[in-house]
Amino acid sequence: MVVGATLQARMREAGLAYLLLLPSLLFLAAFTYWPILRSLWFSFHDVVLGDSKIIWLGLENYQRLWEDRLFWKAFGNTAFYTIITIPVAITCALLMAVALDSKLRGMAIYRSAFFYPVMIPSVAAGMVWVFLYSASYGPINQGLRFIGMPDTAWLYDSTWALPAIMVMSVWKYSGYFMLILLAALKLVPSDLYEAARLDGVSAFDRLIHITLPLISPTLYFVVIIGLLHSYQIFDYVYVMTHGGPADATNVLTFYIYQNGFQYQDIGYASTLANVLLLFVGGLIAVIATVFGRRVHYLGR
Amino acid sequence: MTSLPSQTAASPAVSVGAAPRSVLTALRHGWLHLVLVPLALLWLSPLLWILVTSLKARTEVFDPSAGFWPQVLVWSNYPAALSVAPFGTYLVNSVLVTGGILVAQLTTITLAAYAFARLNFPGKNLLFTLFLLQIMFPIYATFLTNFVTVREFGMLNSLPAMIVPFVASGYGTFMLRQAFRQVPTELADAARLDGCGHFGILWHVYLPLVKPTLIAFGIITVVTHWNDYMWPLLVTNSEGVRTLPIGLGLLAKSDSGADWTRLMAATVVVVSPLLLLFVIFQRRFVDSFMHAGIK
Repeated sequence: MVVGATLQARMREAGLAYLLLLPSLLFLAAFTYWPILRSLWFSFHDVVLGDSKIIWLGLENYQRLWEDRLFWKAFGNTAFYTIITIPVAITCALLMAVALDSKLRGMAIYRSAFFYPVMIPSVAAGMVWVFLYSASYGPINQGLRFIGMPDTAWLYDSTWALPAIMVMSVWKYSGYFMLILLAALKLVPSDLYEAARLDGVSAFDRLIHITLPLISPTLYFVVIIGLLHSYQIFDYVYVMTHGGPADATNVLTFYIYQNGFQYQDIGYASTLANVLLLFVGGLIAVIATVFGRRVHYLGR
Repeated sequence: MTSLPSQTAASPAVSVGAAPRSVLTALRHGWLHLVLVPLALLWLSPLLWILVTSLKARTEVFDPSAGFWPQVLVWSNYPAALSVAPFGTYLVNSVLVTGGILVAQLTTITLAAYAFARLNFPGKNLLFTLFLLQIMFPIYATFLTNFVTVREFGMLNSLPAMIVPFVASGYGTFMLRQAFRQVPTELADAARLDGCGHFGILWHVYLPLVKPTLIAFGIITVVTHWNDYMWPLLVTNSEGVRTLPIGLGLLAKSDSGADWTRLMAATVVVVSPLLLLFVIFQRRFVDSFMHAGIK
């Protein structure tokens, strides 16, 4: 009888647990897992938006992708953007965080000055930078003219358009990474610095040999966040350049949008989305194996 | 984290040795300020540009000899910006969509986190992995097929279309589960002896104790979805359902750089609600992003 009673209690507990999970699971299934599976399914078919007819293509979409020069261009732009912007933004963030970690007068003001771009909608940020980058009346060119440099049509120049968007991204996200790193720096015991300083270790060496290893779990975390957030370049490309000039700023998220929404080719767009997911997943896996082992955990 | 501008009072015996060190600290800080002030100004300059341009006359913007400050403050750019598009409707929609996502997420993560933190059931680890894996599938991997799904449900161009993909949050569930596990089980046991059921315990014991986590998560959710651009852009196509960022983007497109003063005034209107909240509750915002990290 006792066994029966506990079994019943256990079943009731499990029933309650499933009931509590149900709302989340329903939406996770419908809007995260089902779309991933469906995107895989679509990539083997010819799917046109609004047309219920679906034709099996096998690997044709993937073959097309392999030969699509614009795909490789968008892929290269995405990789370039990701691989340069994230380390640069994190380096900026780290220097800001280290500078603000000392008990500095006006610390809250500096912190807000670096952090506020995170609060600004990407569309507003993009627009302001279109203005800042403007060739004839933009303040950046006015400043450069002042020191005798020639005018550059930043966003209309196929060499400079993508780097210009990258500079803007660094401005937008460094403050976000800075806050997370600042939280990690607070946990580094100050007696470690004190001991090193007394031993005559320079500030630069203290940063490289004490600070960096001790906050490496957070640095690692920030890199992953940076990767997962990098899709937001879609907003900037959409607002600032629309992929141009001559596809110099066409990145994968934007190319997916063009294929899916402008050409209504859901099958090929799904193929692109799968490849992007694989690329970001692969980058995360590489980072996890290369840096994951070198991460130090302090007393955990 | 509090900034202490001056040295705290020390006993005379210590202050003899501390005097040269405080000078050193002051020197080092002076050097830091020398680097940080220009950097902070550089970071603030786009915001300054928005504000200054929003008060200029239209022709001043294109005149290189006009100087940085407006000749006369043209406040009329603001009413002009607000009358050119239905910003009131956009604002209401933004509030409804962001509020809807916030309420839905807080509900789903509270229920799920309680199950993961305090109940035993078969398949717990597998299901928890399924929740966590959501973090690895951001919107770029799902927006296309989610658009097809939302279209099939006939929900395109409606406020719910902007809410439904974000109702469940794997990361939020994870955060809240961690917080729930910090709550001593004795408190829950005591409440149970007083005749509380699971929901009673959740409401009266757990939720009040994890308030900081709920607030941190809430702030990040609000900032993310208030500023969201890509998804609302895809699923809306009429004035009645557009949110503030979408409205601003449209205005920019139709103006195409012809009227920067009006556009910058509209930008001020769109960015100011969050920036004002940030200035007022700075501590809370900073703590949230510091410790809750991602979204």
